Formats: sequence, structure tokens, C-alpha cells
Amino acid sequence: MRLFDWRWLVVSSIVVGALAAKAETRPQYGGVLHVAMRAAPTSLDPADSTQLDSFARRSLTLLMFDTLVISGANGRIEPALATSWEASPGNQRWQFQIRRGVNFHDGTPLTAEIAAASLRAANPSWKMSAYADSLVIESNSSDPELLAELVLPRNAIVKRNPENTLSGTGPFHVVDWQPGKKLSLAAEENCWRGRPFLDTIEIEMGKSFRDQMTALELGKADLVEVAPEQTHRVSQEGRRLAGSTPIEMLALLFTRDAASPDEKLLREALALSVERGSIRNVLLQGAGQPAASILPNWMSGYGFVFPTDADLPRARHAREQVRNIPTWTVGYDGSDSMARLLTERIALNAKDAGLLLQPTSTATADLRLVRIPLASPDPWIALASVGALAGTPAGKEGGSVDELYTQEVAMLATQRMIPLFHLPASYAASATLKNWALQPDGNWTLADAWLEIGKP
Amino acid sequence: MAIPNAISSSATRAKRPPPSLRVAGQLSCVLLGLAITACAVDWSGPEQQLARRIVAVTGSGRVTFTIENRSSLGERDSEVIQNGLRSALEGLGIRFVKTEQAAATVAIYLSENPATYVWVAEIRQPGAGEAAVVMVSVPRPEGSMTPHESVPLSLRKIPLWTQDDPILDVAVLEENATPTRIAVLDPEKISLYRWQGGKWQQEQTLGIVHTRPWPRDLRGRLIPAKDHLLDIYLPGLICRSAVGTPLTLNCRESDDPWPLVPAALSGGTFSAFPSAGSPSVAIPAVGGFYAPTRNFFSGALTPGVGKFRTVSKFYSAALLPREKYLMWLFASTDGRVHMIDGVNDQATKLDWGSDLTSVRTACGAGWQVLATSSGDGNEDSVRAYELPDRDPVAVSATVDFSGAVTALWTEGKGDTAIAVVRDRETGSYEAFRLAVACSQ
Repeated sequence: MRLFDWRWLVVSSIVVGALAAKAETRPQYGGVLHVAMRAAPTSLDPADSTQLDSFARRSLTLLMFDTLVISGANGRIEPALATSWEASPGNQRWQFQIRRGVNFHDGTPLTAEIAAASLRAANPSWKMSAYADSLVIESNSSDPELLAELVLPRNAIVKRNPENTLSGTGPFHVVDWQPGKKLSLAAEENCWRGRPFLDTIEIEMGKSFRDQMTALELGKADLVEVAPEQTHRVSQEGRRLAGSTPIEMLALLFTRDAASPDEKLLREALALSVERGSIRNVLLQGAGQPAASILPNWMSGYGFVFPTDADLPRARHAREQVRNIPTWTVGYDGSDSMARLLTERIALNAKDAGLLLQPTSTATADLRLVRIPLASPDPWIALASVGALAGTPAGKEGGSVDELYTQEVAMLATQRMIPLFHLPASYAASATLKNWALQPDGNWTLADAWLEIGKP
Repeated sequence: MAIPNAISSSATRAKRPPPSLRVAGQLSCVLLGLAITACAVDWSGPEQQLARRIVAVTGSGRVTFTIENRSSLGERDSEVIQNGLRSALEGLGIRFVKTEQAAATVAIYLSENPATYVWVAEIRQPGAGEAAVVMVSVPRPEGSMTPHESVPLSLRKIPLWTQDDPILDVAVLEENATPTRIAVLDPEKISLYRWQGGKWQQEQTLGIVHTRPWPRDLRGRLIPAKDHLLDIYLPGLICRSAVGTPLTLNCRESDDPWPLVPAALSGGTFSAFPSAGSPSVAIPAVGGFYAPTRNFFSGALTPGVGKFRTVSKFYSAALLPREKYLMWLFASTDGRVHMIDGVNDQATKLDWGSDLTSVRTACGAGWQVLATSSGDGNEDSVRAYELPDRDPVAVSATVDFSGAVTALWTEGKGDTAIAVVRDRETGSYEAFRLAVACSQ
């Protein structure tokens, strides 16, 4: 696989205040950290594909579970639960040496068998075998992206117990779990990486951006998510903010393939009618990047060749070739006020092109406005994950940049999705939260975080 | 920084070589460094590879060819690659012609992703519909990746000139990829320089005669003109160059307004958000009356901004076309920035210095405000901002300077700006061109 230099993806410092500053004191142990998030997962199982993907969910996963390998600060793959690995020529067979002396939270020692079972649950098509401390993953074709895939939170190593509970090896273990509402985590005293500084993390789920910000302002939360359009205002208020590189795609996603040439023309007209520049400036308050590609330009290097400008004459021309214009329902997340505004604005743009879009917050719609967190900074994995979500599976992973481009063009040609923007993941933190980190992939890590409680 | 009350004289000039020699020396060092960098990398493989892919689409024949660097590659590398690609394409039977004679247009972009450089060619052929896109990835030389902020645009500073005497403004009169003829304004003279034989050669120096003493913190402007070389605006004095050569100056005491709109934009119509296809707005030639014994504009405008013929006294102004109106930003002497849209005057306290200006570019929202920081004057910086609404959003990293910014003016074409900095250690003045680059 290719190596990425994460230094290239330094977290935005436009809105970063004191986050980058060095701590003035040594880390302090103790304290309860309060986190709020919009996502409301009903399962903590990283491999549960029925759960909506989100940066918050991924971040939660890595509080409780570890992966075989991690991506280090310089983008290089580094050991975690696997201490070493070796690929046979052709990258079809990978052998991992499992770390000894690691226990799950329930006291069970980590073994290659448990690791294999965990990865099999997340990747049913993978061929795996375990020999003593070795785990072997084989595939029928070359898999140069395997290490990058193993970094993904969904491939975290989980011990699934018969009573449907989960156990991990991460820095925190579950104390209380109210699905979709609240999660309480406590420091794992015997964590193989060392006990975390925080005693407890209390996570409130299903909170709107506004409620999260209110909680931060009232001192009831230490770490909250910030809507992209709010980042500037929040930074103006002097809050401590951090934003990732644009890693989330906002797109229109059709629920099915185009049924006829006429429908393809109408989808083309819709894609051409959206005024991304104006929407970014006005509704998104300058946040994010207009996008007509799945992969952001920083990830692919060629994103700029996909034009993002609205082209109303072409849109109208495409629409005029169709006699009967249906009314499409376009769904949005009713709990996201920005999603409603964006949908209404897109409907207005579409109307200018002679198309009929009916915004709705109901579950069923012809197309939906969706936020898709890209799975990885690795372009092949990111593309494949979007393809899986959109029902346009990508082909093989790995290859040259023009093969990547060809694959992306092919996925867009299905007209299942209309990319609109690439947005950063943004967070605000209380002044007392120290040494937390925002990764280039939009996830936060709290394993080394600490709270400034008072003078030691 | 805030405009200082006085400019102290430099005391170290006798110990240093003449300015032009120092510039030549600096340029030599820069060129040597660039040459070393360029020599270290052999781009011929990917050049040949991309050329073959282009020719596979166009066939051999007549094309028009452009290249744009969207990556962290330096200017020198970019030029080396451009030349290499040209040679490779010519070797495959391509002939470069003007657009109207071309059978294909090839736009090459030097881009990058975290792993590699990505060179993309967009090929447009009449009657072929969508552009064809071919690309190659090029491994980065070891250690070539540098950390940078994830900001949408980058602001580059390009050194133009340095001297011991205060620089009030610099105008680029001629350029061919890089400036080849410049004019430098200082309190007592204007000097013309031409780039010849690898160094700047002085062409002519003309004294500026003024009867009244200059105010402290002297400011001045050089404005290239269409029918003559340039105009000079100083407090209470306006000079106009003669048409013929050798150059002569005709100066007269005058309180006429100083132009606030770059010559290339004045009187034109421009889209506020070119990328969004928004309607165009007309830009009138607004001028501001400069207080002849102070360091600020009096606030009187001609022809005014909407209903406002007078605004608060200001140090600097920036134009920012919106979808249906023009907005002006004035860095007022009261420390606030006034945003005036012709109807409303909204004053706000920003973390900006006294100097701001705007540039029209092909990046982001199409117009960016360049503003100095509100530092203490030991060091200064300039940053690009956009104003989606009334709150500025930083769209570039800060460009840092080793001293206070004493002048910041938009250049005549409107797409770049001149910043003059007084080095805090040497006391000398340096002029830079500031250019916004789209760095997605």
C-alpha cells in the first residue's frame, strides 16, 4: 500500500486556538469528561453495519477497542495489537504476529483465534487462519490496501461474548450503556498501553448541534461537535475549536438506479443546477469545499477536474429533452436544521432548471441529502466505502492514480449520487480539556487527554 | 500593525553593499538553491509518460498548451517540468500554435495528493464533447513534503525589491512570468529598474520636488497609467510622467482624490462569485481624498459609495463586490473596520491592522481581502480573508514578515498586492508582491 504523510494533513489551525499549545503542566489523573454527540448508535459493535457511520461513533470505538495496526503521526503504519507483519510477494497473503500479554476487559487473554473471529465478523469474505500467535489473512488477488483497512475502527478487535456483550482491549471499559442515549466509560486500570489519565467519560448521544453548544457554554460538556456553518461564529466567540481537513461528503443520494434515459437526463439536469458556490458562501458560511467528486482534491489530487459550477443552460437543455417531469421527493435529516435549508435551496435551484423537488423529512424519498464520512484518508478505501453505501460497488482496490480516477468516474456515471461539498469535522472543547487530539480522518482520541482540575 | 507615527532613519546603510547588489546576491542565492533542487530531481520519466498519454488522445498535430501549478512544487520546478513537457510533446509530433489554429487545447495541472504529485491533462477538442482527462502520478522526492494548514487558499509573497531608504510603493511596469521592469517610489524620488543580465539595472531616477514638508509616516502610491507610464500620489502632491523618453515628471500641488479602485477594475463589471455564475456588478472609479498633512484619508469620497459621500477617516480601503451590490471595507482611524454597502455602515472591531486591501482572483469566492495583523509592530503578517456574510473567514495561512508592514496596496491589475515591510533588525525596506494561489 502507499504511505501517507499525515504531516501533510495537519489539522486546520484557522480555528484552532490553544489546542496546539503545549500543556503548561504535567498531565493530571482523574476527572469526569463529558462529551456530547449527534449520533445515537444503538450498538457498540464496530462491525455492526446497520449503524450509521459517523466520526463520533468511530471515535467511541477506539476508546474501547484496539486495532491490529494504527496509523502513526507521520502516516506510517505502526504496530498495535499486532507487533509485526509480513506480506508474501504479490500482497495476497499477510501474516501478523499478535501481541502477547494483552487482556480484554473481562480478563480474557488476546489470542490470534479471537482476533481472527473478530475480523471475520467484520469482513465475511476474508479468508483467515490462526496459528499460535500468528494470524494469516489471505485473498485471491493482491490486496495492497490491507494494512490501511486494518486501521479502520470497524476492524477493531472485539471479543463477542455469548451473552451478547462485547469486550475490548482499549483504554476505557463500559460501565453503563443505554443504547442511543448514554454511554459511561471508566479507565481501564490494566490497559496494555497504560491507564488513561481520565477516570470516567460520560457520553450523551442524540444531541443537536445547538444543544451541544449550550451544554458547552453551561459547563455541562467538555467536548462537542460543531456544525460546519457555525465554526466561524464559534471561533469568534473565543472558543477552542479544531477542524479536520474536509473529510465528510455532503451529497444527494438516489435510492435506486435511474430507470430510463429520461431519468438520467433529469438527474444530469439536477446535478448541473446546484449553485454550490453560493450555497457555500451563504448557508455554509464559507465552510467546506464545493465538490463534484467523491474524493476531495487533497486526497486524490485530481478533484478539480470535476466542475462544480452550476450550468443552468445545460441543465435546462437536459430537462427540456424530457416530456414528463416527475416530482421527486428529496429527504433530509429532520433533526438537522441546516439539512433542511440546504434541501430547500437545492429545490429552488432545481426549480430554476425546470425540475420539481419536494423536500421531506420523512424516511422514504426518491433521493436524500446525506452526510457521508469518508472511511479513510486512503483514497481507495474511501472510494470503496462510498460505493458500498451508494450501491455502486467499486472494483479492485489499489493501483495508479488514473485507475483511481477511472473508477471514480465510473461510479459517478451511475448517477446514484451527486456530490455537493466536502466538509471538515469540527469540534469545540472546554478550556480544562488538555491534550486531546483530532486526527486527520476526523476522529478524536482521548486516550492521552486530561482535565485541568486544579493545582496538583 | 498600526500605522506608526514616525519613520526613523536607517543607520546601517554604509556597512552594507549597494541595494541592487544585495538583491542580485539574494537572487543568486535563491537561484542557486533552486538550481540545486531542480538538479536533484529528474522529471523526464513522468514528463514522457504524460506526453504519450496526451498524444494518445490528440494525435500528433497542432495544440495550444497551458500549465498551472496547483501543488507545493516551487516555481523553478514548475518551469523545468513545463519545459520538459513541451519538449516531450514536441518529440511526439506536437506543434504548439495559437488557440485559433489549434486542433486541441491541453491544460496541464501540476497537482498532488498526500502520497504523490498528480499531473493532470485536460484535453478539449472541438466537437468532442466533454474534455478528456489523462494523468500520471509522480513519486515525491524524499523529504519534499512539508506540513501546511488545511486552508483553501495560499498566499505567496514574492520578493521584489529591497533598499535602505523607505519604500512607499512599487509598481511592476513590465513582466514576462517574472517582473522585468519596476518603479520604486521613495520620499524623494522615483527609480526605474530593468532586469538585465541576471540583475536589476537602474534605468533612471527622477527627483520629486515638493515645497511642503512631508507628514510623518509618509505614504504614497504609484499607479501605472494607460496613456503614459505612471502617476504618483503623495500627500498634497500629484505627479504625472511624460509620455516620451527619457522620462520626466510633472508634479503639482493637489488635493485631488487618490484612486481606491485598481486601474484594471475601475469602471468595469465583475461577477461577485465567478464560480457560482452570479450576476455582475459595475465598479465605479471611487477615489478618496487624502489628508495632506496626515497619514490617513479624510473620509471624503468621490463619487461616493451609495448614499455615502463621506465615511470615517480611514487608513485603507478594500472593495468587495457582492452578488447585487458593492461592499467597501474601511480601516478607520478609530481602530474599527467599517463595512459599507451603500446603504448601511456597520462598524466592527476585528483583529486586523490598519492596512487592508482586496484582490480579485480565480480562487475561492473570487475576491479576497488582504489584511495586516494587529501585532505590536516587531513582526507583522498578512492574511487573506473572505466575507461570506459580514464576518471575515480566514482563507489562507498568515504570511509572516520580519518587521512591520508599512504599505499594502493592490496592484494595477487588481489580482495581486504590494506589501512593503521594514525589517526590524536591519531597518531596510523590502517590497513583496502578494499573490493568492488556489491550493484547495
